[in-house]
Amino acid sequence: MSFVTLPFFLFVAALTLVYFLVPGKYQWLVLLLGSYVFYWTHSRWLALVLAGTSLATYGIALWLQRINDRGKAYLKQHAAELSREEKKARKEKTKKAARGVLLLGIAVDLGALLFLKYFNFFAANINSLLVRFGGAGSVPMLSLLLPLGISFYTLQAIAYMVDVYRGKEQADKNPLKFMLFMSFFPQIVQGPIPRHDQLAHQLYAPHRFDYTRMCYGVQMMLWGLIKKLIIAERLTGPVNYLFTHSARQMGPINLFAAILYSFQIYTDFSGGMDIGRGVAQILGIELELNFRQPYFSGSIEEFWRRWHMTMGKWMKDYVFYPLSLSKAFTSLGRTSRKLLGQFIGKRLPAFIAMFIAYLAVGFWHGPNWKYVAYGIWNGLFIMSGILLDGVYAKCRDGLKINEQAVTWRVFRILRTFLIVSIGRFFSRSDSLADALTMGRNMFTRWTDITFLTNGTLLNIGLDTAEWVVLCIFLLVLFYVDFQHEKQVSFRAVIARQPLVFRWIIYIGAVLLLLIFGCYGPVYNAADFIYAGF
Amino acid sequence: MDKLLKILSDIRPDVDFANAQKLIDDGILDSFDIISIVNELNEAYDIEIDVEDLEPDNFNTCAAMLELIQKLQEE
Repeated sequence: MSFVTLPFFLFVAALTLVYFLVPGKYQWLVLLLGSYVFYWTHSRWLALVLAGTSLATYGIALWLQRINDRGKAYLKQHAAELSREEKKARKEKTKKAARGVLLLGIAVDLGALLFLKYFNFFAANINSLLVRFGGAGSVPMLSLLLPLGISFYTLQAIAYMVDVYRGKEQADKNPLKFMLFMSFFPQIVQGPIPRHDQLAHQLYAPHRFDYTRMCYGVQMMLWGLIKKLIIAERLTGPVNYLFTHSARQMGPINLFAAILYSFQIYTDFSGGMDIGRGVAQILGIELELNFRQPYFSGSIEEFWRRWHMTMGKWMKDYVFYPLSLSKAFTSLGRTSRKLLGQFIGKRLPAFIAMFIAYLAVGFWHGPNWKYVAYGIWNGLFIMSGILLDGVYAKCRDGLKINEQAVTWRVFRILRTFLIVSIGRFFSRSDSLADALTMGRNMFTRWTDITFLTNGTLLNIGLDTAEWVVLCIFLLVLFYVDFQHEKQVSFRAVIARQPLVFRWIIYIGAVLLLLIFGCYGPVYNAADFIYAGF
Repeated sequence: MDKLLKILSDIRPDVDFANAQKLIDDGILDSFDIISIVNELNEAYDIEIDVEDLEPDNFNTCAAMLELIQKLQEE
């Protein structure tokens, strides 16, 4: 039951009806039941993996809570008789015990993900190494099924356990409520990756029906559907063709392919996100924002603060900061300052931590070296941006560039978009070798832009009318994002219109979807790219 | 406060630390700045700012950072 199928909308309608009819204290049970029904339609018995991970995480968090509470109670009870050093030692002891439990919890959750998603990748690489050194290469390959959303809910579970360990969150006492937090259906497929403090209390609280909120939710869903069905799905044909036939394409047509994929993945991912956030909003639940007009970013660093925001924040809070401030990295900083001087020495530990975080982002996308290269590509640009900041500033001064000028901003946006798009070679190609071939071919006959006029574009899956429709809706997307960038709320504007006009907008949006949407047997609209990660 | 302002200004000379109220919430400081600030403060005040202390509330203003330093010094 995908987000873009009729059964899903009927399911949401039925669930909404029951949700607002039952007494408030039972609403969370309706959500839990609905979430597992939704999950079951996708993954059947793999729902047991989700339930198992949820219950293991629930138990570990309670254990952590008990260790922390006992530590605090002891300190409170013996406050008068303990010296400062003794208190510190006691705190350290508590922390050490909790750290062991936390590591166990992370090993369980991450172990399930690594085994199910990455076992064959590791097995293939170990086999290839064994063969190279004269061995048999006999690590068996397993046919493993991946539970829906495992890459997302594993990060969610780890964040929760770490937050309980850090004392920022109280562990949930009710296992069923916690299972709801882990399985909430509008976000299980492709995020956003929620934090317990942001989502859990909303899920467990009663909600009353609110007509305005429902309208806002429906509007968000419609906009998500327009992005997904009219733009992303329309781009599937040309993108698939151009990436499949990449070996014999020379020149900027390769860049063109990457740019088309940039639009496809943005509208696919953010479209799915809007549908999920819209459904949640109807139910009275606000999911976190995951995109903030990412293609208006002026640098790669800014791009990653606007694209898949909950993932970036997760990496920052649970990989980058803990690594950067760890004892090992702090002492590395001291050594590197002595050896490499203040400028590089001071930054080196943070660079390494950041590089690891970007490698993790790349590897998170899938068990393939191309994703590792994707992480390195992004990490390198961010690091060089920081390292060469002084050089760039001098260049700007030398060229007398006005950094406040609109033209400078536009230049930075276009430059960032190009770097991001070229990075897509890695994430979209079938293999690292294909990505490198496309990158190399891009510079062979790089002035040849005849593909735009010689009819090539009409042989890759879209006819003239389809390209026109695509361009029009890309312009609409640009306009909407541009207005969002200026803090304009379309939903507030629509809400101020008379009832008749509002309904014309709704019916118009549905008609647009019916007329221009790409659905039916020819397309594969039910699939979302990020659901596969 | 002057000592703290001097440390912060050395890291980010372009920021008005004395008057800024939302250094984190408004995205004025990025994660690299935070790490630099934490390392400098640890050294200058002989404290250990832990990853648990990296809350926006502790770094949004200069006064909040000073409060965190004093709290850690008392511990």
